[in-house]
Amino acid sequence: METRAKATFPGGVHPPEGKQYSQDRPIEVVPTPKQVTVLLSQHLGAPCKALVNKKDAVKAGQKIGSSDAFVSAAIHSPVDGTVKDIVLAPHPVLGRTMGVVIDTAPQSEPKKPCADKFDLKFSPEQWPTEKICQAIKEAGIVGMGGAGFPARVKIEPNPAMPKEVLIVNGCECEPFLTCDYRMMLEWTWQILAGIRLAAKASDVEKVRIGIEDNKPEAIEIFSQAIQSCTDLDIQVVPVKTKYPQGGERQLIQAIWNKTVPTNNIPPTIGVVVINVATAAAIAEAVVLGQPLTHRVVSVTGRAIAKPGNYYCPVGMSVQEVINHCGGLNESAAKVVMGGPMMGFAIADLSTPLTKTSGGLTFLTRAEVTEAKFKHQQTACIRCGRCLSACPENLNPTRIAHAVKHNNLDLAQQYFMSGCIECGACSYVCPAHIELTGYIKTGKLLVARTKKKA
Amino acid sequence: MGNDILLASITDLIQASWPAAVLMLGLGTGFAVVLLIASIKLTVQEDPKVLDIYAALPKIDCGGCGFAGCTAYAKAVRSDALLLGKCLPGGAAVMDKIAEILNLQISGAGAPLRPIVHCRGHKSDKMFYAKYDGIPACTAANAQPLVQACGFGCLGYGDCTRACKFDALHIVEGLSTVDYEKCTGCAACSKACPRNLITMVPFVQDPMVTVACSSKESGKNTRAFCKVGCIGCGICAKQTDLFTIADNLSRMNYEKYTPSDAVNTAIAKCPTKVIVHRGKNAPADVNPAEEKTVVAS
Repeated sequence: METRAKATFPGGVHPPEGKQYSQDRPIEVVPTPKQVTVLLSQHLGAPCKALVNKKDAVKAGQKIGSSDAFVSAAIHSPVDGTVKDIVLAPHPVLGRTMGVVIDTAPQSEPKKPCADKFDLKFSPEQWPTEKICQAIKEAGIVGMGGAGFPARVKIEPNPAMPKEVLIVNGCECEPFLTCDYRMMLEWTWQILAGIRLAAKASDVEKVRIGIEDNKPEAIEIFSQAIQSCTDLDIQVVPVKTKYPQGGERQLIQAIWNKTVPTNNIPPTIGVVVINVATAAAIAEAVVLGQPLTHRVVSVTGRAIAKPGNYYCPVGMSVQEVINHCGGLNESAAKVVMGGPMMGFAIADLSTPLTKTSGGLTFLTRAEVTEAKFKHQQTACIRCGRCLSACPENLNPTRIAHAVKHNNLDLAQQYFMSGCIECGACSYVCPAHIELTGYIKTGKLLVARTKKKA
Repeated sequence: MGNDILLASITDLIQASWPAAVLMLGLGTGFAVVLLIASIKLTVQEDPKVLDIYAALPKIDCGGCGFAGCTAYAKAVRSDALLLGKCLPGGAAVMDKIAEILNLQISGAGAPLRPIVHCRGHKSDKMFYAKYDGIPACTAANAQPLVQACGFGCLGYGDCTRACKFDALHIVEGLSTVDYEKCTGCAACSKACPRNLITMVPFVQDPMVTVACSSKESGKNTRAFCKVGCIGCGICAKQTDLFTIADNLSRMNYEKYTPSDAVNTAIAKCPTKVIVHRGKNAPADVNPAEEKTVVAS
């Protein structure tokens, strides 16, 4: 096996990993909550329209939302129950959006993970390409690494952009999160089945599985497992532990040694990247016909009593997750959906989980205070650390200052739209300037000017 | 003796310098002739009407018309008469003048447009879930979900005040408030607001009546999130057909507004006191907590 140890990309940072809280906790099924709020906008693209009405009875796995738009993904009910209402509900990213509130039927059993239904004998032969694509579409699968791009659009064969290689993202570079790691250890065969189905659907011969070298067990278990598939050119590539190694563009650069052009997507250079969680969901959808209604969530951080990895229904509220995990410590100050680098701080604990929420990080008052008040923002000292940290080779300080002074044309000249918002520049800045925050603001301002023009 | 020496030195000076003087004179005349010819040959024909239009404009270069300044707008409106009503600070008076210069017949000049902030929630009226201490700008705060419970109301970080060139907008206790004495109606604030709270309204009367809320939440949620939100109860719509209810929110037809008893009853009967007067002559906004009204506790 060819191993290019320490394959990586230029730039990046090394934040404390913080994986010790939950990395040794096996995936645990949570009891079905009494009520779930399934948001109708859980993916990149057009929001869904509700297909059910108030007081309708729904079954687990029933489609409750869909959209005619190409870039969109269907929504399914995770539980048996009745629709209580279709109302504005808190969304972890978009503020308040429409969601379907479902009262769970009493004594309903929680759904169990189905990793035991896959083994090394699995072969994708009996599923033709169209059937796989159809199943992915019906199951409403989105990129579960965080961006939520509909998986169907990625995987479907596209004659205009033939695909050469499928890269599977098992890096999990985000500090604290361990859900992908646990899945790789416990659901190895299911993930492998999903990878083989995805490779078949996108018509690629080569598969590379990128795993950071701080997860030697996962590298070991996958290196063993891939020996069962002889029909594919499949390799496990250990990559250097560095943030944002799990960024799509950074992973391609590390493994495939090609750069995705700025403002373009990976298919333009013949690469398709999927997350291990997405692969697992594809296997479940194609082989067992089950839609994406549950996902593994890492509950972690110093401020939660029982950190761990939990198999939760989509739509379960953060408050219910906290209750199940033994409540918050007294020092809890900030709840972040996702990891501390790219996650979104949530304000309302009734915010439901979505298909893309891989983790919940609970930070203590001491951590938040240190970040916010001990390190006050000062003037830029022109040290250039953000330039050496930027994985996209941008000049974050120039962009941020241009946005600060409302000079959006200048910001765009410095390729503001090429920013992947990883937060590495803000992390290294010795003056504690919220560079990523300003760049994000600038992107929003540009989007608004375009909309109003 | 002394005079002779002085005379001699002056004569010397003249004798020594007359060629230079003649040369300078000649050069000056030559250049003058060149410039004279150039000024006749290369004259830029300024359209007198553009100059007249420019003279009629307010000359504040606010950019509200969408052009780079008053000069650019004057040229644009000369070539395309459809751009006539674009000067918002000038309003109807300037529009009439320009129409006169361009020999156009315009019918019924509209009322001047002025911004109205469709929110009435001061800091003490609103509900907050958590503390936001990110970048102090509305666009940045709006990207962070649920900075305040109400997803429609004023954030109070002042993107509009920074956009205003006339110091006519101020954040008063967490709410953007227009100073109509200073406002020219250039619409910069309405473009700056990330929540589209500020709209340009024809001020057919001053003060104007408006529904100062944008919340499309259900009445129950609006009550929970804010003491002064429109709950969409429809009492105002029963009084007069100026008000219509859609998406749990009352909206007013500004064009047809005239002060009447029905409107005053609607203002008085509004359970959350969200129908208010706005404008130069509007009564000062009183804190609804001080008025003894029935609001959610």
